[in-house]
Parts: sequence; C-alpha cells; structure tokens
Amino acid sequence: MSSVQLALIGLAVLIGLLVIRIPVALAMLAVGICGYVALAGFDPVLAYMKTAAFWQFASYEFSVIPMFLLMGEFASRSGLSRSLFSAANVFLGHRRGGVAMAAVGGCGAFGAICGSSLATAGTMARVAIPELERYRYSGSLATGALAAGGTLGILIPPSVALIIYAIAVQANIVQMFQAALIPGIIGLVGYLAAIAIWVRIFPESGPVGARASAAERVQALLETWPTLLLFIAVIGGIYFGIFDPTEGAAVGAFGAGVLAVWKGNLDLHGFFSCVKDAAKTTGMIFLILLGAGFLNIFMALTGVADQLSALAATSGLNPYAILILLLVVYLLLGCLMDSLAMIFLTIPIFWPIMAGLDFAMPEADLKMWFGIVVLIVVEAGLITPPVGINVLIINHHAPKVPMRETFIGVTPFLLSGVVRVALLILIPPITLFLPHLLM
Amino acid sequence: MPRDFCHGLLGEQLHRFSAWFAIAGGIVLTGMVVLVVISILGRALFSSPVPGDFEIVALGTAVAIFLFLPYCYMQKGNVAVDIFISRMPPGVQRAMDVLAATLFGAVAALFAWRSVFGVADTVRNGDISMILGFPVWVVHPFGVASFALLAVCCFYTAAETLGNAGTGSPGSAGAETPGRASAIPPGNAADE
Repeated sequence: MSSVQLALIGLAVLIGLLVIRIPVALAMLAVGICGYVALAGFDPVLAYMKTAAFWQFASYEFSVIPMFLLMGEFASRSGLSRSLFSAANVFLGHRRGGVAMAAVGGCGAFGAICGSSLATAGTMARVAIPELERYRYSGSLATGALAAGGTLGILIPPSVALIIYAIAVQANIVQMFQAALIPGIIGLVGYLAAIAIWVRIFPESGPVGARASAAERVQALLETWPTLLLFIAVIGGIYFGIFDPTEGAAVGAFGAGVLAVWKGNLDLHGFFSCVKDAAKTTGMIFLILLGAGFLNIFMALTGVADQLSALAATSGLNPYAILILLLVVYLLLGCLMDSLAMIFLTIPIFWPIMAGLDFAMPEADLKMWFGIVVLIVVEAGLITPPVGINVLIINHHAPKVPMRETFIGVTPFLLSGVVRVALLILIPPITLFLPHLLM
Repeated sequence: MPRDFCHGLLGEQLHRFSAWFAIAGGIVLTGMVVLVVISILGRALFSSPVPGDFEIVALGTAVAIFLFLPYCYMQKGNVAVDIFISRMPPGVQRAMDVLAATLFGAVAALFAWRSVFGVADTVRNGDISMILGFPVWVVHPFGVASFALLAVCCFYTAAETLGNAGTGSPGSAGAETPGRASAIPPGNAADE
C-alpha cells in the first residue's frame, strides 16, 4: 500500500472517529499514533512518546496561551465590561438601534483585553441584555448583535485563535497581531453598519434610547481608563517590540488580576474558579496540540501534503478559485466544529496548498493575509446553525428569546462578514499595511 | 440517595483530585505571570531581568499544562463533534460515550506508562536547563501523575456510563455491576 493511500485511510478514520463523537484531540492522537506506527514501527513511536508531551508543552512561546486565557478570565470578572458598554451607549444609545450598536462596540472594546470569543460574548451579554430588554429591542436584533459582537474579539488582539494559527503555520505572532488590527476594526464598523441598515428596514426592532448629556459622556469615557491602559500596555508593548508576546500576556494577566482585585470582584474563591476555567480551555487546546503533533508526523511521513500542494499548483486553476474553495470548506467545517480544533486539523494540509500557489506576495505576507481571512470565515461558524456556540451562550443569558430568532438576528452580521472577506481578499494591503509599517 | 455510595464517592474524589491538580497548575501559572512581570520591571528599572526567566516559564508551562489535563477531562472540556450522535437513540449515544472514554483512557495510560521511562531517561541523562542548571527531570513526574490520573478518570467515566446503562436511568439505584466493583479499589486506597 502506498503511503498516500495510508494517509487517505488515516483521514477517513479520523473523520469517522469525529462523527461518532470521539473528542477531536483523542481522534488526532489515535490516528496519529497508529499511522506513525504503521510507517515507522513500534519502537521509534514508543521511544518518542516518552517525552513527546513534555517537549510539546515546555515552550516559552506557547505560554502566551494560558496567560492570555487567565487574563480573559480576570477581565471577565473585573466588571470592566460595564464601563465599556456604558461608554459606547452614551454616544450611540440615542440613535435608532443605538443600544445594539453599543453592545457591539462594547464587545469590540472588550475583545481588546480578552482573547476568547466566548468569554467576550458571555461577559457583554450579562451587561447589555438587560438594557436591550429595557428599551424593548427585538429579541433577534439584541441577541444577534451580541452573538456576532463576540466574534469581533477573534481579530482584535490579543486573540487566542490568532496565536494558534500563528503556531500552526509557524508565523510570527507579533506580525499576526499587527495584521489583525485593521481588519478587526473594519469588522466592528461593518457590524455597526449592519445594525444601521437593519433598523432602517425594520424600524420597530431597535427603538431609540435616552440621550446623554455632554457631561455624562465625558464621565462615561473617563471610566474606561483601566481597559484603555491595559490594552495600550499589552498590545502597544507587543506592537512596538517593548515586550515579546509572553511578556505582554503576563503583563495583561497581572494587570487584569490587579484591576479585578481592586474593583473588589476577585477574592480567593473567585481566583480559584478563574484558574480552573483557564485550566479547562488550556487543557483542551494543548491536548489538541499534542494530537496535532502526532498527526503531523504521520502526514509528513506520507508526504500527502506535498502531493496535494503539487496537485493544486499544477492544476491550472486560478489561485483565487482555490482560495475560495478552501474558504468554503472552512465555512462548512465551521458549522460542525470548534474553531481552534479546526485550525489545528486543517492548517497542516491547507497551508502547504496555499504556499504552493502564486499570489504574488512573499510567504510571510501570505501567512498573514490567508490567516486573517481564514479566521474571519472560521469564526462565522460560532454563529451559524446547527452548533453556533456563541448563540448558545447568548441564549443562556437571554432565555426568553428562542434560538431560532437569534440565528435570524445574526444574518445581517454574516452578510457584513462576507463583504469584509471580499474586501480583504481583493485588497491585501488592508491586512499587510500595519505589519509593514511597524516592521 | 439513589446513587451507589462507593461509586458516587469515587467520582467525587476524582472530581476533587482533578480540581486540586488544576488549582496547583493555576498557582504555577500565576507564579510565572508574577515572575515575568518582576523580570520586566527589573529590566526596565535596574536593567537586570530575572536570570533564566524564559526557561523557568518553559518548564513551568509544561507543569501547569500537565496538571490541567485531568480537570479538563472531568469538566468535559475536550471538544467533540456532537451533531451526528446527538440525533441517535440514547443507547447508541451511551455506547459511543463508553467507547470514547475507554479509548481516551487507553491513550492516557499509554502516555503515563511511556512517561515513566521518560523520567528514567532524563534522570539518567542528567539534563539541566541552560542558564540556571535546573534539573529538567523534575518536570516529567508531573506528566506521569497527570496522565495516570487522566487515565483513571477516563476509565471511571467509562464504567459509570456503562453502569448507568445497566441500571436503566442514571438516577435509579442498582446492585453493584462489574464496572463499579472494579472501580472501587482506587477510592479505598485514597482513604488510607
């Protein structure tokens, strides 16, 4: 049996295991280990397993992931989300749909100090849902805005998904953070525009809220200083090379922890539940990382990625057609799978395909440009049926709104996302401008 | 109390142990955060960072992640694709859950077993970290302990899921099934 056949059998088994609800990390480990054994024999694999996990985990670079997750947990408890929402609300609330816009704006701002999409959506929902209900916003607009708003955090650094992509393609994390900022802000603006258009078509869905006085505006803006300080310290420090990402993450976790204690929202019990929640997500990510390590060895031994890449390069298809095809695959997978798992699972196969195509840009640029576009598409999976994890989280906070309405509510944001992806594909400098400027 | 007492007790113990592991890992993680912040301050104010901070962080990350694994499992933190199986009858779902837990346990046990040799190798080689000369082998026993606990948690989950199938609904009382009986000794050992 040729090694390519073996690789295809391995992938088929992997998909089979995923379908019968074997956890992603376990399926990757099982297939990776068995494939490795089939190609190299028992002894090398058993020897490799003695320290494989240690070498996979003992990494200064990867420590950014648990640190940023801890930062997000602290930030979620700090009560900072309320000041962010209020600040956005005093400026936007008096417009039609303005309270929903404020919720989206708050999500974007909170994403700047929290690396997790779910935590952002959940934290902001706690604050914004009562206000949206008070002003009688339609259930679909209110919950749709929050579910979609949570996904903004994926591009606004720090973002765990961004780090994981950078690890998977061996890109520079700092450059990925730089590349993501402008597309992230465009995403925020696009979502606000989606709300503006939505309430123009359905005016009763987003009534006007109270108008704030100038003094209230200044006051509300001043109260956001801790978030602003934290963001500038962490991301500014990373962007301008004062810190490496690990140091930035440590500063962020430390700062968010101090703020939460100072605001009186973090006692010892709270600290324990923060580290436990961070432990849960960290454990999930790193077990997948371990599985991806084994799966990658197996796939590398079969050489299937090279073959696919050569096939794509010589197929005569337009590179952009192949890019669109890959994005469609991501969109479909995103409906079924967790985004982080999906990145680990697909990038080792999809990235070589991309790298083999001619997009008339250096490989480092291609990594950033492809990554940003992929992440936007992957994150759409968080708000599309049937699983849409963000939608589940919002539903938990707004139990009166049926989930079907939320899925209707996210549609304008998905359309806005399509426009954004098209823009980014057609105009790569949007993504590449900032990293080139700061290089 | 409709639950089998010993059975429930073991489950509680495993939940508690895995939570302790996670908190211990969280304390290591927090310690690294503080260390890095001190190192940055030292560099900025006295131009003297904590020597070897990056190798402490690398080794500490491994310890923390090892310690997180059992808790992640017990909290069902390992993501899976749910949409196909969730439409199957409960019996099929339970069978798949038993299969997943058993396979998980087997892989975890394999890692625990191999990690023992990893400890032996690193002790024998006497690997030390580059700057501080810290003995690297110290980290590996955390891997053994965590994978071992993870394996026990998985097999316990498999036995519990199977046990529930044997006695009908999860809440109903039942005589001891083989799955439960075999799951008792570790719980007793922990009491001694």
